Amino acid sequence: MTTAQYGAITVEPFGDSAVMVTIPHADQAIRRAGIVAFRDRFLAHRPHGVLDVVSGLESLLIEFDPMQTALEHVEYAARLVARWAPSPTDGPARRRAVRTFAIPVVFDDDSGPDMASVAEELGMAPADVVEAIAESTFTIALLGAAMAPMMDGLKVPGPVRRRAEPRTDVAPGAIMIAGTNAIIQPFPGPTGWRVVGRTPHTIVDISRPDPVSFGTGDIVRFVPVTRDEACALDAGFLLPTEEAV
Amino acid sequence: MKTVALDITSTGWVTTFQDLGRRDTERRGVPTGGAADQHSAAVANLLVGNPRGAALIENLGGELAFVPDADVLLAVTGAPARVTVAGSPADGWSPLVVPAGHEVRVRGDMDQGTRTYLAVNGTPRTKTLLGSAAPDARMGFGQAVTRGSRVLLETEFRGFRRRLFEPPLFRLPVPVPRFDAGPWDIDVVAGHGVQAIAGIREVIEEATYVVTPRSNHVGLRLDGPVLHPDTDTEIVSHGVPIGALQIPHADELIVLGRYRSLTAGYPIVGVASRASLPLLGQAGPGRRLRFRWIDREASLRRFARREAEVRALGYAAAEAFGALGFMEPLRHMN
Repeated sequence: MTTAQYGAITVEPFGDSAVMVTIPHADQAIRRAGIVAFRDRFLAHRPHGVLDVVSGLESLLIEFDPMQTALEHVEYAARLVARWAPSPTDGPARRRAVRTFAIPVVFDDDSGPDMASVAEELGMAPADVVEAIAESTFTIALLGAAMAPMMDGLKVPGPVRRRAEPRTDVAPGAIMIAGTNAIIQPFPGPTGWRVVGRTPHTIVDISRPDPVSFGTGDIVRFVPVTRDEACALDAGFLLPTEEAV
Repeated sequence: MKTVALDITSTGWVTTFQDLGRRDTERRGVPTGGAADQHSAAVANLLVGNPRGAALIENLGGELAFVPDADVLLAVTGAPARVTVAGSPADGWSPLVVPAGHEVRVRGDMDQGTRTYLAVNGTPRTKTLLGSAAPDARMGFGQAVTRGSRVLLETEFRGFRRRLFEPPLFRLPVPVPRFDAGPWDIDVVAGHGVQAIAGIREVIEEATYVVTPRSNHVGLRLDGPVLHPDTDTEIVSHGVPIGALQIPHADELIVLGRYRSLTAGYPIVGVASRASLPLLGQAGPGRRLRFRWIDREASLRRFARREAEVRALGYAAAEAFGALGFMEPLRHMN
């Protein structure tokens, strides 16, 4: 992961036991990369009394136990981390190894009902969109609702719009795109993202002690396969292809 | 330790295993979840000598009933409820020794609050997801307790020799919340939405809101007056604390609950005080709510008082149970 360049952070109280951290910068890409870098550092140097954090696209909500710490301490710690803490990727053994995933995806009309409209929007042929997705290298930026891997790195000519009307019941394993991001639907449910394909793998398995095999910073590539190939894979729980240090 | 079974003879509209929620999972996209009324859940556990975060049963609506196959120590807390043991009335918010084979019935009064909690001394055998028994519907982790099923639990409770009509064995300092008939007052710490929407502070302060039936564990949806921001500035999805008051595009006010996810760009006018969250967890359709603005320091003072009461109960219960010879509560007090 690249280290984002950012100087100051904004820390605002949010209710009686949380603060919201944002990065005041005119460039959206820097705000987004910066908050990911800040989150990694903050969790690596987690101050006493901090219960959890919630990642937004351009923000980090820090929830704390007001009986163990105070807003002033959390704010001070956040500023210290932003200014001084080394990135967890800088030091050895600070962070677990980055994992790499090659995820087979079926890109046919059934699996990707929004592919045609995405292609039209981008002024490309659907086959070229599939190729662009396959050639993109994605980095998992955060785990969204129900541990869905939210990824950066879609290389297409322009950002992809969300659906005007959200779909109400998208199948698990659906590969979805919006902006320059991709996400995989872990459970049946609604989404405003554009559904372009589907993987036969189980992304989240709640019967396992750790329901997912991926984390933020991991690398994902999508490998187009036919429906028959997907069936022949007998794909189960998604596992990394390799673990690079 | 021995294994005790509760034969479930009746369940409410929604009856599930529950606890105080998952820890440290929100950064991985899984809401903390857990008991809607955390105060009642924690107190139920302390009253039976369990750690406050132990797994217990949450019941919404209808009647929960069961028959233990051995003597058990249990407590019922939450909204005002009619509790009977083999047909005789028994107290809520108090430890109860229920002999083997006696049916316990718990019927909450939905007009006074939605949820009751049943804690039994010991550890129920239940599945966990990311370290917690709390259900997560979105991830297909239902945790329903069903009629006709048996809830098994490991307990070291062996019963007390007590005769009928003896004075109560326990007299503990129990912080029982008020469940008023009139509107409930909820303290709210203002958020930046208050600046973005001129006049909203006064509108919210003066109105009474009514909880609608479209409410669920993700949020309470309230009927009542709201204002919208003038501008259409897009707010990027961000995390929100439990208890956040958001104004969606429609004319309603939403109070987010423990299963909330990122907000989809709606203005947040404030966040309910931590001390008010348990009451919000008890609000059902038709409940009238009034919001009072409170500053952060006052909000935390109220929470600290509540917390001190719960701790005092924890120590008193641990001492009482320790004197009776079971050590478990003393072990987890520290």
